[in-house]
Order: sequence, then structure tokens, then C-alpha cells
Amino acid sequence: MQKFTKVLIANRGEIAIRIMRTCREMGISTIAVFSDADRTSMHVRYADEAYHIGPSSSSESYLNADKIIEVAKKTKADAIHPGYGFLSENAGFAQKCADNGIKFIGPSPEVINQMGNKIQARLTMIAAGVPVVPGTTESLKTEKDAVDTIKRIGLPVMVKAAAGGGGKGMRLITSEKDIVSLVRSARSEAKSSFGNDSVYIEKYISSPHHIEFQILGDQHSNFIHLFERECSVQRRHQKMIEETPSPLMTPELRMKMGEYAVEAARTVNYEGAGTIEFLVDNDLNFYFLEMNTRLQVEHPITERVTGIDLVKQQILIAEGHPLTITQDKLRQSGHAIECRIYAEDSDNNFMPNPGKIYNITQPLGLGVRSDGYVYEGYEIPIYYDSMISKLIVWAENRTEAIERMKRALYEYKITGVKTSIKFLERIMDTDDFRSGNYDTNFIEKNKAVLLADTKCTPECEDMVIIASYIEYLDRLNIAQTSKEMYTAQNRWKKYTYQKNFERL
Amino acid sequence: MSVDIKLDKRIASVEILKQYENLLEIKVDDKIYQVDLMHNDEGIFSILANGRSYNIELVPQPKPKLFTAYTLYHSYDVEVIDAESRYLRNRSGAVQLTSENTISSPMPGKVIKIPVKVGDEVKKGDTVITISAMKMESEYKSPIDGIVIKIFVNEGSTIDAHQKLVEIE
Repeated sequence: MQKFTKVLIANRGEIAIRIMRTCREMGISTIAVFSDADRTSMHVRYADEAYHIGPSSSSESYLNADKIIEVAKKTKADAIHPGYGFLSENAGFAQKCADNGIKFIGPSPEVINQMGNKIQARLTMIAAGVPVVPGTTESLKTEKDAVDTIKRIGLPVMVKAAAGGGGKGMRLITSEKDIVSLVRSARSEAKSSFGNDSVYIEKYISSPHHIEFQILGDQHSNFIHLFERECSVQRRHQKMIEETPSPLMTPELRMKMGEYAVEAARTVNYEGAGTIEFLVDNDLNFYFLEMNTRLQVEHPITERVTGIDLVKQQILIAEGHPLTITQDKLRQSGHAIECRIYAEDSDNNFMPNPGKIYNITQPLGLGVRSDGYVYEGYEIPIYYDSMISKLIVWAENRTEAIERMKRALYEYKITGVKTSIKFLERIMDTDDFRSGNYDTNFIEKNKAVLLADTKCTPECEDMVIIASYIEYLDRLNIAQTSKEMYTAQNRWKKYTYQKNFERL
Repeated sequence: MSVDIKLDKRIASVEILKQYENLLEIKVDDKIYQVDLMHNDEGIFSILANGRSYNIELVPQPKPKLFTAYTLYHSYDVEVIDAESRYLRNRSGAVQLTSENTISSPMPGKVIKIPVKVGDEVKKGDTVITISAMKMESEYKSPIDGIVIKIFVNEGSTIDAHQKLVEIE
């Protein structure tokens, strides 16, 4: 069994810091890598060592496998943790790590490949007896083939790229006349996004629930699941809010889906932390959707209800330790919710809003965890994801968790960039969310309420005007050489001056 | 001495009537408020008025006398119009606003594609520039039928928010 002394984190931002925190608790020293744009990123400041790996564009830095391996070799890192995104599901990178005697914290390149190809993954799951969404198990050959297959399955259907992900190369077909053109455009998008134009057909399940199971597997063929996460609140195929337990779940269904999730992991002899995603319809029929062979963004809610540090488990498994947790000892205690804070303009079609953080006040208090990476004066780069932080709350039950999340969002203040905080707070107030009666159409369905334009009261507007006026006067004073000239108007800043003097 | 403050589209006049330490009597348009105002930290204001506690944060913009103000749920564009800016405005005649036919992006980003060139005829709704920020591409379309008269940026260059990109006439 190996003991890691140094781990390189091949990622940035929030998740890099999250991983380093656990490394620190385990007495492992951490190596950060960074691009031109990320010299000021918090993950560089948090790490024990940090190395520049290239220009801002991720294809030349965080996706540059050779460069990252080079740093790992130079610094004598025992292992590389890929985080999520970037190289985390890149079999070629996992192989290169192995070739250079560096442990890749995750499954084998073969498993990444097998699960990365959606058609292959479907075949594997069918063989393991896991229910999959009805559809084809091979790539579409001709356009005639497409029309025949779709007629057999029955409209509506989804065409999906075999190499797909992130909503790319995906089309919904609802009428027969569109089949040829939509299959063609799915193919061309798949080709340009993944370099592989292979597509397949799946029956379209309208308003499904998106529920996933966290699994862990060690190098000694032990497999467990750590229950579900409900991830149905999505916009643009991206998750916004996750919670566990799922309001839809029954103990019987949880047991059944959990068993299938473990079976899926066992079939591919999975090593590390992984996630089995399912679609669940309103009659509680469930279908395998895909497997993510990495740590998920929303892993903290599972940590919160099970009390297990998933990154620590990943590292122990990679070191060769057998799992010490057994399925019968695992419990879901209380309720956890995560909100993703994006730098974006919710009122303007969720357009990303990079920029400089002027002020940030993060929520604190009982049951609140904030996994972020931005700080005052930090300029969020335009090159990477717009998620700046994850807010996770825990409470005894779901109602209390929702109230706590509302309170935490109220406390969360970020100025300088627009964020999704207000939008998230409104979600906490909708009847559909509060009753737990929601599916992936939630945002679309509640759009009118979520995006309603409510002005601040006239009195509140007047306060903004007063504050602006005082700020303006203060600035005038700063511009003057002598502050004495305006002593009278300057009094309200006296408090701040005094405070600053006391600090000296 | 009163000044005008523009809050999004509203223009209000403000005047301090009385002041003792951090207690102010202040007039906004025709309403008089007694407020307890603390300038707690750079740009952070705590105002107590009529028994309510307001937190307001002001973020300076590149131009002087321009701010973005954040209340609990809203943000406003604020401009202070004092004697100086009034004088400058009058002198330059009509206010030189960005023409509606000039395309700009509300966010910083990188120019991915400019499918038009100067002199090209474009129809309303034609894409004239594609900007990428945070892994998302946005297409900016021509607001009118017209001719591209100026392109201010190149493909591959990074841009600031509100920077002029393409002008159409």
C-alpha cells in the first residue's frame, strides 16, 4: 500500500481548493497548476507549491496533459487529482499518468473509455441488467436507417452524440418531417465538438426527474452506494440546485436504484468515486442515463448527510486501502441542499457576467458550508466556467433546510458582478419547490415568478440616492488637498477614520 | 446646494438640510428624511430611516460620478449630475449617447467571429459578431437593415464590457 506525500491538483477554482483542504487534513502537501489568467486565483494561494502551465485558454493550460505530467514529474508528485471537468474524464490523460508512474485518482483508462462512449455505456448496462432509456444500441448508419428506427421507437425521440456531454450534439425530434435535418445537425455538431459524428436514438421522456446515485469502489472489489441526489432544477442542461434525499424517493425505490447503481459499478470493476445518473418518470420508472467517472460538483450534499469526506475516500482508495464503510452502516441523516452561485445575469437569459469582485460577504452560521474561491478585488476571468461558489446547507428536515438556505442566500452579498443569488432565493419561495413537486421543467414552468421584475420600494430607492450623494461628497473631499475645508460634511466618515486609526 | 442624481431612468434632486455627526436631515425630491447614515467601509453604507435598516453598496464605474448601486435584490446604474457635468453636457450640446446602431456587449469576453466586413449590407437580425465568455458563445445581431460602416475589434481580441464593437448605418 502506498502513502501519498504529494498530490498535484490538475484543476482550478473552487474544486481545486476543495481537494486541497482534504489533502491538508491528511498531511499531504499540495501542488497547484495555473494558467496566465489564474495567477491571482485563490487555489494558487492555498497550495504549498504552484506552477505556471500555459496561456489562459484552457486548451493550452488545464487541458495540456503533457505539461501537467511534466510538472508532476518535476515536483515528484505521487498522484494527480483531476477534479471535475478538464481532464477528469480523459482516458488518454489517465493512461499517461500510469505510463509515468503517477497514480491517477480515479478509475482506469479502460473504464473511462467504456463509460465515456454513450453507446458503449448503454450496452454495458444492458448486459448488467440495469434498465436503460428505450432506444438504439448502435450508432445510426444511414439517414434511412434513422427514419426507420425512429418510426419504430415512436416520436418524440432524442438524437444524442455517442461521445456527447454538456448538451452538445443533442436534438429533440417531435415531428417526422424534421428527422433528416435534425439528425444531420446533431451529427455535424457532434463532429465539431467531439471529433466523432456517431449518434444514437433514445425515447424522449418528457419532464423527467434527474436523480443520481453516488458510488464508491475500491481496488479490492468492494462497492457501496451513498444514496441519491436530486438534480432536477436545471437551466440550459446545467444544474442549479441539488438536494438529498430526493423528495420523490421512497425507501423501496431507493433500495432498488441503489442496488442497480452498485451492480453497474461492479460490472465495470469501478475504482474510486463515481456517479450513476438516472432519469425517473412520474410513475417512478427509472432508466440509466450515463455514468460520470469522477467527483461531481454537487458531492458536498452527500458528504453532509452521510458524514463521509468523498475526496478523502478517493485518496484512500487510490492509495490501495480497502473501503472501511459498509452498506449496512450507511445512513442519510437530515436534509442537505446545494445552490450553485453563478456569475451571470438571470434577468438577461442567464448571460455570464465576468468581472471584478468589489465586495463579498459569505454566509455563516449553523449548518452552512460555502465552497468558493473568489475574494474581494479578484477579477473573475472570462475563460472558464461561470460558477463562483457553491452554498450548501444542512438541517434536520427539508422544510428547515429550505428556510436555512433562504437565510443563507439573504446573507450572501456579492457586488461588482451579477450573480444568480436573487434567482435562487426566489426558487426557495416557489410552491413547486417547497412541496418537492418538481421535475426538469421546473424553471421553464415557473419562469414568470422567478423572473418577475419587482422594484425596490420608493423609500429604498431614495436611500440609494442618499448613499450615492454622500459617496459623491466624500469623493469630492478626497480630491481636495485639505480635508479641513469640509469638516462639517466629513463627520459621517469619522467613524471609519477612527476605526482605521485603531487598527494601526 | 442640491445636485441631481440619476437612478436608472429616474432623476431626483438631493439636498442636505441639516447635519449632526452621522445624523442627517436630507431632502430627496419633495420628501424629507431623517436618517442615521454610516459609511462603514469603502462603498458600504448602512442607513437607518423610519425604523428600517438599509444596506447599500456602491461600486465605482470607470467614469467618475458613475456607480452601480446594490440593494438587497436590485442593482441600479447611478449617475451624479452636478454643476460640472451639467456644464459639460450643455457645452457639448446634445448628449453623445452610444448610437442604437452601434453594437456592444454588456459583458467582457473574447471575439470569436466577425462574419461581416466594412461595406457589407446586413439585414435586421443578421449576426454581425460572436462573443465568447465563460464557455458560452453569444451572437450579436444587427438591430436594423443597413451597411456595416465600422468594425472596432478583430477576431481573437478580448473586449471590455460596453466597448463599441460594430457600427451599422
